[in-house]
Amino acid sequence: MKKFLLMLLSIAFVLVMAACSSGSDENASGDSKGDSSETENTGDSLESSGSSDDGGSDEGSDEQITLRMAWWGSQSRHDMTNEIIKLYEEQNPNIKIQAEFTGFSGYFEKMAAQAAGNNLPDIMQQNFGEYVNQYASQDLLEDLGPYVESGAIDLEGVSDTIIDAGKVGGTLVGIPTGTNALSATISTAALEEAGIEVPTNDWTWQDFVDIATEYKEKTGKYGARLLEPGNMFDYYVREQGYHLFNEDGTGLGYDDDQVLVDYFTMVKDMVDAEVMPGYDVISQIKGLEDELIVRGEAAMDLSNWSNQIGTLEKTAGTPIEARVLPGEGNDKGMFLKPSMLWSIPKSSEYKEEAAKFINFFTNTLEVFEIIGTDRGIPIKPEIAGELKPTLSDVDQKVFDYIEYVTDNSSPADTNFPPAASEVLSKLEDIDEMIMYGEMSPEDGATQFRQQAESILGN
Amino acid sequence: MGQETTNLETNIQNEKQVPISPKPNKRPKRKRVGADIDNRMGYLFISPFIIGTVILTLFPILYSLYLSFTDFNLIGTPEWAGLDNYKKMFTGGDMLFEKSLGVTFFYAGIGVPARLVFALLVAMALNKVIEAAGVYRTLLYLPSIVGGSIGVSIMWRQLFGTDGALNSLLTMMGLPTHSWLGDPDTAIWTLIVLYGWQFGSSMLIFLAGLRNIPKTFYEASSVDGARPIQQFFKITLPMLTPVILFNTVMQTIQGFMAFTPSFIITNGGPMNSTLLYILYMYQNAFEYFKMGYGSALAWFMLLIIALFTALIFKSSEYWVHYEDN
Repeated sequence: MKKFLLMLLSIAFVLVMAACSSGSDENASGDSKGDSSETENTGDSLESSGSSDDGGSDEGSDEQITLRMAWWGSQSRHDMTNEIIKLYEEQNPNIKIQAEFTGFSGYFEKMAAQAAGNNLPDIMQQNFGEYVNQYASQDLLEDLGPYVESGAIDLEGVSDTIIDAGKVGGTLVGIPTGTNALSATISTAALEEAGIEVPTNDWTWQDFVDIATEYKEKTGKYGARLLEPGNMFDYYVREQGYHLFNEDGTGLGYDDDQVLVDYFTMVKDMVDAEVMPGYDVISQIKGLEDELIVRGEAAMDLSNWSNQIGTLEKTAGTPIEARVLPGEGNDKGMFLKPSMLWSIPKSSEYKEEAAKFINFFTNTLEVFEIIGTDRGIPIKPEIAGELKPTLSDVDQKVFDYIEYVTDNSSPADTNFPPAASEVLSKLEDIDEMIMYGEMSPEDGATQFRQQAESILGN
Repeated sequence: MGQETTNLETNIQNEKQVPISPKPNKRPKRKRVGADIDNRMGYLFISPFIIGTVILTLFPILYSLYLSFTDFNLIGTPEWAGLDNYKKMFTGGDMLFEKSLGVTFFYAGIGVPARLVFALLVAMALNKVIEAAGVYRTLLYLPSIVGGSIGVSIMWRQLFGTDGALNSLLTMMGLPTHSWLGDPDTAIWTLIVLYGWQFGSSMLIFLAGLRNIPKTFYEASSVDGARPIQQFFKITLPMLTPVILFNTVMQTIQGFMAFTPSFIITNGGPMNSTLLYILYMYQNAFEYFKMGYGSALAWFMLLIIALFTALIFKSSEYWVHYEDN
């Protein structure tokens, strides 16, 4: 009998455990809430949104409204954004903004869970590319066109190319927070100490390899951080005149696998010569503040966005210069993209109020005096113009860099399919195998095409 | 099974031999009215639990079963896909599925026995301690309390990192250092060591089992000249087998379901060498937004765990000894 009871008990346990494992699909949103500071107020905001619903969002300024706002970023962005929120709350005493912030990893997992629960925030930081495309294709984002027309969100004077970047299928679903570009960040002090000339914007891939190798030979330190294929291979194919995905996002946008073989071979050779570190080193970097170039262990790093240069230089404590990425066709490869977008989910109860806040964020000089270039260069030319002289040297450098890229770049690709993140993660897996010496560049390129096509095919 | 039936028969015989109440067929009738009211009150009292279980456990379980037959990207509506998700798993279309399954079997296959052996050894040592036993017990149990947490996983990452404590120690002793987490051959072992280290709960159960073994067995056997090692294999181990069974089942389930360490310490890398099954399920559901496929993976894991639990129980007939037989 004892045995039978024990058996029953264990079966019960198996079921409960299984419940935990499959239930975690639903519960994960609860988990991820733990890493931000928003949990305690969720109930309140739901109640207040329910009770004040009849009043709508009219001018009744006595009415207390709680807006939920979500973004991802580094600690410094969290601090600066919270400061901006405080400023807005002081000017609008009837508005309370409840911030939900995390690092980038985990952000879209959390948002997906909220979307499934019809519980998206009122103001949502969106990512350009496959992410916003996916949310727009599910009809989850409010059309912001009418708000711009009515002047609720003032985009007077913003260039059309920037506004277009917030459109999906002709509908404006996001207001760019600022503009951004990939950049080669270079520690000038490190290169000069080693007696190596700092490269100019017309450098080639060969120049990059030579400088990195020379630095390694002279100092014993890494010439450059490892190139990771996500953004880098996207740039590399563009620089060669192709695109990563074809026009309708159903396959790869380049026909000759030799492009990818060349890319893999170049990186692999540099890793083998220890001019670049391998994945064993890279995988242990804990955030931007811990990057090799910040710690003085590498002279160059091609994988940063221009809005990250400020944080890099501040934490490194030595001058960091930005160059466009190498390659003869770098004007074809380089592109400007919105650093992020502000979106209003359709599920929001307070769309007008949310639009008002986005307008504040876009059109207020004080906002950018607090946040600098952390969310990119302001999209309003007059704000950018007023802001520039007040900025620190490093932020001015970023301004100049973006100005240069504006004149020497091609439009960003907007055709990333929803499955792009899975395709890119396959590319990363293959890249890792090659760098660990488990696969040849040729096999890697063939396999990537097979896997990408099987993912995109269905 | 043979044992069980004889067991039941003797029970029945016992009852026949010793009739406790004179008229057993009248008892249920008299009690029924009161029992109904009792039951109603009882159900009322347990209703919070039942409602909670149905809404928070049963519904998600059944919903995920439904989702496993659909194509669902989490932010849209699920679309019926029939057996497509399961077909994809078993027709070799997903190499990472096989890889993660392999990693998980390796992890559980080494981690679970290691933890059990370790727990038993510590429990036996602790069983001998008489002074301040509570302090030792608490200290040894501590890793298990904090074990599943994010904090310990982050600490583990620091410990085994390139500039971590372990490498510093090796440098101090003049030994070569190693990138423990960066090497595909060693990364999984850091997770297994972590699993083994959190032996507290099985250790406590072993300890309770050890305390239940009558001292007279040992005394009698030592009079007959048995050495400690003989005592261990002839007395301790056989007497503990029910507890070992329980621990094995529980730890196997836990081992298959491990998630936090590989998520936090290595995120499945390097080269997916630490991609535990549950982590891969999570990636599908929340990173690639393939909730349907993720649910199918979850249900397959349920089958694996159920199968292993059944196998362990089946095998227990041959190695578990109960005192009452």
